[in-house]
Amino acid sequence: MAMASSDRPGLFERTGAWVQRSWMFIAFFVGFFLFWEWSVELFDIPRYILTPPSLIVAKGWADIDRLIYYTYVTGLETVIGYVVALLVGLPLGLAISFSSILRRTIYPFFVCIEMVPKIAFAPLFISWLGFGLLPKVIIVFLVCFFPVVLNAILAFNSLSEELTRFCRSTGAGAWTTFFKIRLPAAMPQCFVGFKYAAINATVGAAIAEFIGSDEGLGFYIQIVTGNMRPDLAFAGIFFLTLLGLALFGCVTLAERLLIPWHISVRRSRP
Amino acid sequence: MTSLIELTAVSKTFGSGADAVHAFGPVDLAIEDGEFISFLGPSGCGKSTLMLMIAGLLEVSEGDIRLAGQTVAGPRTDIGIMFQDNTLVPWRTVQGNIELQLEMRGMPVSKHGARIDMLLDSVHLKDFAERHPYELSGGMQQRAAFCQAMVHDPKTMLLDEPLGKLDAMTRESIRKDLQALWMQQRPTVVFVTHSIEEAVQLSSRVAVITPRPGRIEEVIPIDLPFPRDLDVKNSSEFARYVRDIQEIFRGYGVI
Repeated sequence: MAMASSDRPGLFERTGAWVQRSWMFIAFFVGFFLFWEWSVELFDIPRYILTPPSLIVAKGWADIDRLIYYTYVTGLETVIGYVVALLVGLPLGLAISFSSILRRTIYPFFVCIEMVPKIAFAPLFISWLGFGLLPKVIIVFLVCFFPVVLNAILAFNSLSEELTRFCRSTGAGAWTTFFKIRLPAAMPQCFVGFKYAAINATVGAAIAEFIGSDEGLGFYIQIVTGNMRPDLAFAGIFFLTLLGLALFGCVTLAERLLIPWHISVRRSRP
Repeated sequence: MTSLIELTAVSKTFGSGADAVHAFGPVDLAIEDGEFISFLGPSGCGKSTLMLMIAGLLEVSEGDIRLAGQTVAGPRTDIGIMFQDNTLVPWRTVQGNIELQLEMRGMPVSKHGARIDMLLDSVHLKDFAERHPYELSGGMQQRAAFCQAMVHDPKTMLLDEPLGKLDAMTRESIRKDLQALWMQQRPTVVFVTHSIEEAVQLSSRVAVITPRPGRIEEVIPIDLPFPRDLDVKNSSEFARYVRDIQEIFRGYGVI
């Protein structure tokens, strides 16, 4: 980029500019939690139904050790399932998009499976594989795998006619064409799949834990809700959200580093 | 003497059986070494199809195309092509996009530094070598695409409506540069366009192509002095060429 690092505004100026741009959102956000805080008092809602945010923070803080450990447990399931989905899904999507046999066999099969709610398999995997890490990883994998594969197939099959002709006119071999044109051109669509999968990953982990587990945030939320402790349930939900945001943030960061030229990344720059 | 590009009874049909669409031909044409010939016709007449067939990027349905004495049987790598939509990739700078052509061909980039500089200079993009395509205007992108298409120093250039999406002033400015470059180096240029004025201004000959199925109605030598600056364009001879070609298209109900 032409912009020199020295003309970049400092952190203070940037924060100031962000507040100026987004003050309505900030006001709404703060207002939402204030309304929640007061409405519990105002409408006299019993604490075992809904607790005010201040109490969620206080009680959550008191149970922070357990929450952090369970975040680690759920995070491990999520990250392993997600990474394996990427490692298997991307090469497989690539293979399907280049092989006419795979495109006529596995691809329609995957499209059919995509219609099935993968979460519905969760009880089966728990009954087959028990309460441990593996069934959760498999469920996260299933939830993440299909968006990764299907977007990768789309990505590697949608090189423009013009660029295809350009490649042929240079006489370049398949490898050169792949690494210099096809792979970078496919990255933006691949990232659509990676991001969608990242959003789904924590959902898969949480539901798998609801069905059968003895640790993790999903387990925690279910147990404390059963004990009439919505304050702790919200604390669990908060950490689950953090986990999802962290994963999504990593993928977005990777996107910015790998394809800074792409319009979806460029647009979000200040 | 044989011509550089020879088309013999070339025609193109898309699809087969009852759904077949006869898109183009049959046409016969001989293009001489060093000439600037335009394929001029309305949209959908098959002029781009013809250009792609010469490049070996589309198969001929019938007939034969010979380039430099050889029948065109697959993509030709000894030519430079500019496509209707430019082939600049967004992840590389202008310089990087020009180098891409060399890298794809396995040509050493380091040995072509001077040529890249010369090309960028000739299209007034020297200060934009490190910019990405999305930071450039449409006209600058086409100038960069021109450098990309020409960096391997082809003796034959196929240009498919390279100025089609640009505004009138930018078109005029790029035409001028293109003409200067052609006069200086005298490559063989096949220029596809739907602008009568553009064809008359740039070409040594204009092949007038009829609406679908496209055929070459007439090949008109343009006997005007180069460079064809504004004075030439305002001359009555220039206007007569334009009028004659307009009459042909009016006869076909195109305009």
